[in-house]
Amino acid sequence: MDAKQLKQFLQAEGATLVGVGDVTKALPKEIVHLNRGIAIALNRSLTKEAVDKLVRLQTLTEGWLKANGHRSLSIPPDSDRRKDKLITKLYRLFCHKTAATCSGLGWIGKNGLIINEQYGSKLTWATVLTDAPLGADRPCVSSRCGDCDLCVRHCPSGAVQGHLWSLRNPLREIVAYDKCRSLKSGRTALKGKPNCGFCVTVCPYSRNGAKK
Amino acid sequence: MADETRKKEILDKLRNGVIQYDEDACREGAQEAVAEGLDANEAIFDGLVSGMEEVGRLFEAQEYFVPEILMCADALYAGLEILKPHCRQMDLGVKGSVVIGTVEGDVHDIGKNLVKMMFDVAGFTVYDLGRDVPLDKFVEEQLKTDSELVCLSAMMTTSMVGMPKVIEKIKEKNPNCMIMIGGAPTSKELADKWGADGYAEDASNALKEAIKMVAFLKKLRDEKAQKK
Repeated sequence: MDAKQLKQFLQAEGATLVGVGDVTKALPKEIVHLNRGIAIALNRSLTKEAVDKLVRLQTLTEGWLKANGHRSLSIPPDSDRRKDKLITKLYRLFCHKTAATCSGLGWIGKNGLIINEQYGSKLTWATVLTDAPLGADRPCVSSRCGDCDLCVRHCPSGAVQGHLWSLRNPLREIVAYDKCRSLKSGRTALKGKPNCGFCVTVCPYSRNGAKK
Repeated sequence: MADETRKKEILDKLRNGVIQYDEDACREGAQEAVAEGLDANEAIFDGLVSGMEEVGRLFEAQEYFVPEILMCADALYAGLEILKPHCRQMDLGVKGSVVIGTVEGDVHDIGKNLVKMMFDVAGFTVYDLGRDVPLDKFVEEQLKTDSELVCLSAMMTTSMVGMPKVIEKIKEKNPNCMIMIGGAPTSKELADKWGADGYAEDASNALKEAIKMVAFLKKLRDEKAQKK
């Protein structure tokens, strides 16, 4: 089954990046039949409109797959998750980063975020899992951050430690999230907004993306 | 409710809403049922639950998998939320209240939530303790609420070992209380050995058992209606 058609369709509808990854190895038992991950990204800042647009793209993908006789499960963008539903339990079982790396759209940077060669970390992600036998893209298996340590030096909480990600050791904690979280809660109290975003703004890949 | 065809239309809408995991359809169907004076219990059992029975069948036939079941359950809840306030207390001779939770050390609660749903549907009062629940909390809650049913769930062998302790403590204080256990590591043998009264090994089986239970209630209700 050709993934090209789906990608063109979604890009025409406004998706910045679309990739299809073979995510077989990352699936828990409950959803083991859904072994293709369709990663969809938008290069917009995280606003309500961007999230709505992503959700619309997901719905379109679901419809496309259903029309072709396949099952799907949408993992919505992180900021659009209702807490009170039963299906929410399943969202935790799969993360967007897996779909993004498996479909070759980026690697996990020293800042713990997906970095795409063209857009850096300034992307909002959504995933649709499916059992449609779509041709998979070549995965990203190791970090391309190299010697760059800008995000390590700029992180105000010392959470970014400079570890390189590799698919060979996917469970390694790249960022000390507890430090990041405590900084975030401090900022929320002070400014009403949790994210400092230094690790995104200093990243050379993200800055390239901003210029375009 | 005058028109039989209209009634069937609403019931079908509720049923299909659950099967096709369409929350909006369920909500709409439920609102129509309330607005047009359809009996809420009937709407739940012949609409929503009848849909869930079909979902159980589709799951067995491997047409549906866990994600679909959860989405169907969400759709059912969407309808139930609207219909519940209009329900008459079901007069079946079973006054139901149940304590349910996932035992200490375990955070898996998909199966538990499905079972809880069917109790909700059946009109039981459900005391949901959530997940990773300390063992003594079950005993405490049972005594406090005087529930006739306690349901224990565990996904992992390590947390399952807490179950016999709870069963023993509850049975000691209250021998009439029924206890059901569930989760992947449990088995019929273990249930018997520990003195539990019921058992289901995973979410789908739990759902099946719970559907059976509710279907039985439905039958009781129908028989009662016939006698009248």
